[in-house]
Amino acid sequence: MKKTLNRTFLIIGVLLLAAPLFMGPYAQSVARSVLMYLMLAISWNMLVSSGQLSFGIAGFFGLGGYASTLAIVYLGMPPILSLVFAFILVGAAAWLLGLVALRLRGMYFAISTLALAEIFRVIIHNWHGFTGGPNGKLLPKLIFDGASVPTYLLMAVLAAGTIAFSMWFRRSKFHFAVTSIRDNEIAAMSTGINIYKTLLMVFAVTSAVQGLVGASFANMYGFVTPESSFNMNYTLLPLAMTLLGGLYTTWGPVLGAVLLGIVGEYLKLYIPYGHLIVYGIIIVLVILFMPNGIVGLSGKLLNGFEARKKGEVQL
Amino acid sequence: MSILQTKKLTIKFGGLTAVNEVDFSLESGHIVGIIGPNGAGKTTFINLIAGLHTPTSGSVFLDGEDITAMKPHKRARIGIGRTFQLIHPLENLSLVENVMNGFLFAQDFSVPKARKAAVLLCEELGLSRLERPTSQMNILEIKKMELAKALAVNPKILFLDEMMAGLNSDESLEMISLVQKVTRSKNLAVGVVEHVMGVIKQLTHSVVVLDGGEVIAQGKYEDVVKNERVQSAYLGGGA
Repeated sequence: MKKTLNRTFLIIGVLLLAAPLFMGPYAQSVARSVLMYLMLAISWNMLVSSGQLSFGIAGFFGLGGYASTLAIVYLGMPPILSLVFAFILVGAAAWLLGLVALRLRGMYFAISTLALAEIFRVIIHNWHGFTGGPNGKLLPKLIFDGASVPTYLLMAVLAAGTIAFSMWFRRSKFHFAVTSIRDNEIAAMSTGINIYKTLLMVFAVTSAVQGLVGASFANMYGFVTPESSFNMNYTLLPLAMTLLGGLYTTWGPVLGAVLLGIVGEYLKLYIPYGHLIVYGIIIVLVILFMPNGIVGLSGKLLNGFEARKKGEVQL
Repeated sequence: MSILQTKKLTIKFGGLTAVNEVDFSLESGHIVGIIGPNGAGKTTFINLIAGLHTPTSGSVFLDGEDITAMKPHKRARIGIGRTFQLIHPLENLSLVENVMNGFLFAQDFSVPKARKAAVLLCEELGLSRLERPTSQMNILEIKKMELAKALAVNPKILFLDEMMAGLNSDESLEMISLVQKVTRSKNLAVGVVEHVMGVIKQLTHSVVVLDGGEVIAQGKYEDVVKNERVQSAYLGGGA
């Protein structure tokens, strides 16, 4: 099992790295955006594994974009370093906000994350002197001077790192802690789980990943504005991708991001904004007929298959 | 020497005093029955000791240390294990993973080490097919798993809240001997809340009777059931 898994990774890794050889600049830019959404979806899925629904992805994404851009503009920070800076800054911000927000649960937590994202946007929109207000800020130059292949490779490496992190997460103590918290908090604490601390750590790290993605995005396109950097799409698309692919797994969001990313790109060409309608329809259909997403469905089929092979009947 | 002590432990919910100045103690190797009519405050009392409620006044001591203000997850780590009246299986974890939690978090084992320890503990309690989801387990197995989850925190004291509810008489007998076995082998101090008097009679060394949040009697089961206040609490007031 482990061997086949390792082999799968090796193949996927090689394909990812070799991809620019076969793709033109347009295909590379689509692939970059898929990788970006993939990271957002994986990080969101890690927090949702604890039962906490965050609608703040766009907020941390935008905050990361601004952190990186402003660090480059005002401090002359090298772009790569500014990505690290955005990761740390957004993680720290999420930790501090989580101290308060994670005292809430369910709908109340979800709404507070939505409000946080909006508060970031409003502050940045109105802080003309520092953030450029509604006009945003331009970066002096793109990362790697806009060269397509290195930019793609950077995203591939970051995405691979995020996938590896999520795989580790799902085998570590965190898997047991977050799943128990999702199932029953009282039972969880009675086995010694520190719920507040666990949620804080997961919230901070996953938000930091979202900040890192936002920073990469800003460095790829060379600008930030309140409207584009805090766009609600960055919250809703990763959510749709995770639902389609399968909640609570590493490969669900990966699959969802690849499928919806490519389908969305294709649809954009023919019906501008129509892809959003398709996303909406997909979410509804998945929730109604396939609540565990593609990965859940294939797992079920596989289990049934193996059980039949072994001659066991599953009840 | 008692390992757990409560001193004048009291909790009020608005105008209702659910537990009123309860002095209680548990000794290692002993099983104490906590009985009383519905609404007597038995589960609330256990929740106070497990840290799910903060008492209005009074204190809880474990091994002489005041733990009144300690958080529930820390109490699990210092050796307070419990089961729940309303069973709480973690349905997105398998049987063995449910049991691993205590080893992972209360005893700070690594994942592989916790898995080994959980497998051993499950076998000790007679649980098999450990990779099953909890939805495929029967009620006796669930109850045993709940016991295993509580034992996995390596408890010094163990509270069993209505362990026998939903079990038939054979299954109850099996649970009784299991609880007696682990109490002896792990030298636990055990508190048992139970409605079935036969179970209390067989299982416990002594009993405490709560009514309206107050201790109205304690001592040996045979003596306590003869107590007039106990009889009137169970059979109705004014007797």
